[in-house]
Amino acid sequence: MNKDLKETIEKKHKEIEPLFEKGGKFEKFYPLFEAQDTFALTPPDVTKGFTHVRDAVDLKRVMFTVVIALLPCLLWGMFNAGHQYYHYSGIEAGPIAAMFRGMWIVMPIVMTSYIVGGLWEVTFAVVRKHEINEGFLVTGLLFPLTLPPTIALWQVAVGISFGGVIGKEVFGGTGFNILNPALTARAYLFFAHAKDMTGDVWAKSIDGKTGATPLGLGASYGGDGVNVMERLSDTGYSFGAIFGGLIPGSIGETSVIAILLGAAILIVSGVGSWKIMVGGVAGLVVTAIFMNFLPTQGGIDPETGNIIQYTTWSQIPFVYHLVMGSFLFGIVFMATDPVSAAQTSAGKWIYGALIGVVTVLVRVTNPGFPEGVMLAILFMNVMAPIIDHYVVKAHIAKRNAYLRKFSYAKG
Amino acid sequence: MTAEFQIKQGLNIPMEGAPGDSFRSVKTKGTVSVYPAEYKKVKFKMLVAEGDAVKQGGVLARRKDQEDFLLRSPVGGTVKEIILGARRSLQEIVIEPNGSDDRETFSAYTADKLLNTSREALLAHLKDTGFMALVRERPFNVIANADHTPKSIFVNGMNTAPFRPDAHLLVRGKEAELQAGLNALTRLTDGPVHLCLASEKSSESDALTQASNVQINYFAGPHPSGNTSTHIHFLDPILPGDFVWTLRVSDVLRIGELLLTGRIPNSQTLMIAGNGVKEDQRGYLTVTTGTPLAEALDGALIEGETRVIRGDALYGEAADPKAGVCFYDQGYVVLPEDRERHLLGWYAPTTEIFSAHRVVPSAWVKGKRFSFGTNKRGSDRAMVLTGIYDKYVPLDIMVDPLSRACIANDTDEAIALGILETDPEDFALCTFVCPSKTDFGSIVADTLSLIQEEGF
Repeated sequence: MNKDLKETIEKKHKEIEPLFEKGGKFEKFYPLFEAQDTFALTPPDVTKGFTHVRDAVDLKRVMFTVVIALLPCLLWGMFNAGHQYYHYSGIEAGPIAAMFRGMWIVMPIVMTSYIVGGLWEVTFAVVRKHEINEGFLVTGLLFPLTLPPTIALWQVAVGISFGGVIGKEVFGGTGFNILNPALTARAYLFFAHAKDMTGDVWAKSIDGKTGATPLGLGASYGGDGVNVMERLSDTGYSFGAIFGGLIPGSIGETSVIAILLGAAILIVSGVGSWKIMVGGVAGLVVTAIFMNFLPTQGGIDPETGNIIQYTTWSQIPFVYHLVMGSFLFGIVFMATDPVSAAQTSAGKWIYGALIGVVTVLVRVTNPGFPEGVMLAILFMNVMAPIIDHYVVKAHIAKRNAYLRKFSYAKG
Repeated sequence: MTAEFQIKQGLNIPMEGAPGDSFRSVKTKGTVSVYPAEYKKVKFKMLVAEGDAVKQGGVLARRKDQEDFLLRSPVGGTVKEIILGARRSLQEIVIEPNGSDDRETFSAYTADKLLNTSREALLAHLKDTGFMALVRERPFNVIANADHTPKSIFVNGMNTAPFRPDAHLLVRGKEAELQAGLNALTRLTDGPVHLCLASEKSSESDALTQASNVQINYFAGPHPSGNTSTHIHFLDPILPGDFVWTLRVSDVLRIGELLLTGRIPNSQTLMIAGNGVKEDQRGYLTVTTGTPLAEALDGALIEGETRVIRGDALYGEAADPKAGVCFYDQGYVVLPEDRERHLLGWYAPTTEIFSAHRVVPSAWVKGKRFSFGTNKRGSDRAMVLTGIYDKYVPLDIMVDPLSRACIANDTDEAIALGILETDPEDFALCTFVCPSKTDFGSIVADTLSLIQEEGF
């Protein structure tokens, strides 16, 4: 049956191909034809040049593997969105109902992102006359997973347009961008529509309930002489709860287990850089521990009038930093984007580690931005070429030292 | 004196179609050709005209820039046709053999006498016979310039690429020629002559492992442990201003034969391998230089469209089916032209098509040999993945920054990153594994020729 289907498709494609070729009716839309043609069947092209055989891998497979790695986060995100919806509406509902409700909430967001992002990709492919790049498959799914489920669809459309066009296409398209397009899109919405992006997003839609994320809570009480750890556990944000992921947050980031599953897929398949991930976690842990040694904040107890010491944001144990907010999601899926990350091996360690460092710095020292990882990754995206520059400089120095050894040996 | 090196980076491609160890010979029936175009950028001046008679070893042409560097005929006969290409460049000289034994003779040496022959006399001899072309020079991998004194000479006796001839098999019965050739090489440099061999070998020739007057080095590990650049990098790396001369064992055998017999060796031993060759025909073939490929490979190829590659599947030149056996050829890999399309092949979990990437299930299959065709297995894309290529290059080279410097035509940066140590063939594995189907070999080749033109 497979063979018949293949032959039918091949025949049909041969029939309609002239329409899209030079001089054909739909000549302009050749990239669209090419995309669906090579999606259905691998291209018949043979090698040119001096290397006559090639590996079975291609970019379609690499990109789609990232999409598969994102699926656990997406599925959990749907379930959690439904769960939060019923929780804050005060309705008792089982897990299946939550899943369906979650799909109803999340699927339109993902579809909007894919359709609008895909339109931009096709438009630029047609105008620039290049093939449609599979990168938008990843960007189109990554972006919605960084959004709260309560986001409006027009905001999704505006965000993905900004990310795709300003974040990627103005630099020349996939492979040439400086910043991660999905994160650029999120940063745009974060600054342009801050109220809809962070904090009590559920509270907005359902009267009288607060739905703050642990990071939002922590930050809003960070400097006010309130014990942050007590505050977190009072609101039900124990370590276990944050780890498990049945809490308010952006769609894809709440479950640590789902993210770790995705990380395992990326590392085992060799698609994502484990160096960046491990470097990031190490940077975060070391900085968080360092922060723990900062002096605690003193204050006067309003009831007794005595001077007491509060546990502030900086005293939070590093395990909380790891699981709170989007750090893990960011370091696994966003920071490892090979185009915007550092390219050299040593550079990847430094790049990852600095993302961890900057994340904690932003979270602890700047209560205005409860989530540091987005800004940390964007900042390090910009810094990555500089890191690479110095790694390459060091490599050249090492090379020259090796070569000099031989010229000295000869005298 | 021996040295041993263990190479970690690289990949042995588990390709079907390895050559057997059978030898046979093919008699030439019709015309033979000399191909001045195979010397790439070298220009020649014709010294015979169509219809002239030439002896075996008779002069056909000379280099325009070096009057004493001659091109000689492998057979005696009549010049039937001279084919010119663009801008009257000499492409092909067709000779109708007359079967006569009349031949030019040259001075003959003994192996011991060669050790006391002067460098100038040997170089003059090699240029006069045209066999100087077998001696290559790095950087740039061009015909050696006799005015340069190389700091060392490297002889490559390895075959890690899929596929190259097994030096140990070629040397059988030609032990004297090997030693004579090596002796001659020792006179051409003030430094050592390095003979580089594989640590593990199925067949073994004592003539190689016991060769005298040279330094024998053993290399172990996956391809490209057998590439000359790898040997040079670990033994005597090229600094700006250095020259190193390189040869293959098959070249040394031919030079040895020339010097011992005093006549132009007119036949070549060629390896025939690959999926495109019938299983019982995979092996070695002795044939007159310049024989048309159609004659040399008659009956050896499988049915259907095939590609004959001069060199190996990873790095070689696709041969024009109408062309013949070139002076440089030491073997052909023949692959089927694979234009077959696979349903949803871009994500189907294949175990039939080889991949080095763990993202494809076939990468997890160990110990299996895969059938290879010429399919590109994807479309061209911008370079996206980084850091995967350094695993395949044992030289101290960072492939990502080097390729970017090359694409930007930044020759200074490319030189600092070590491009002068390399040959495009060193990047063939990078091209092979690239998910974006980037051709690193041609990127590096373009920059190398740019540096060669501009000087450095």
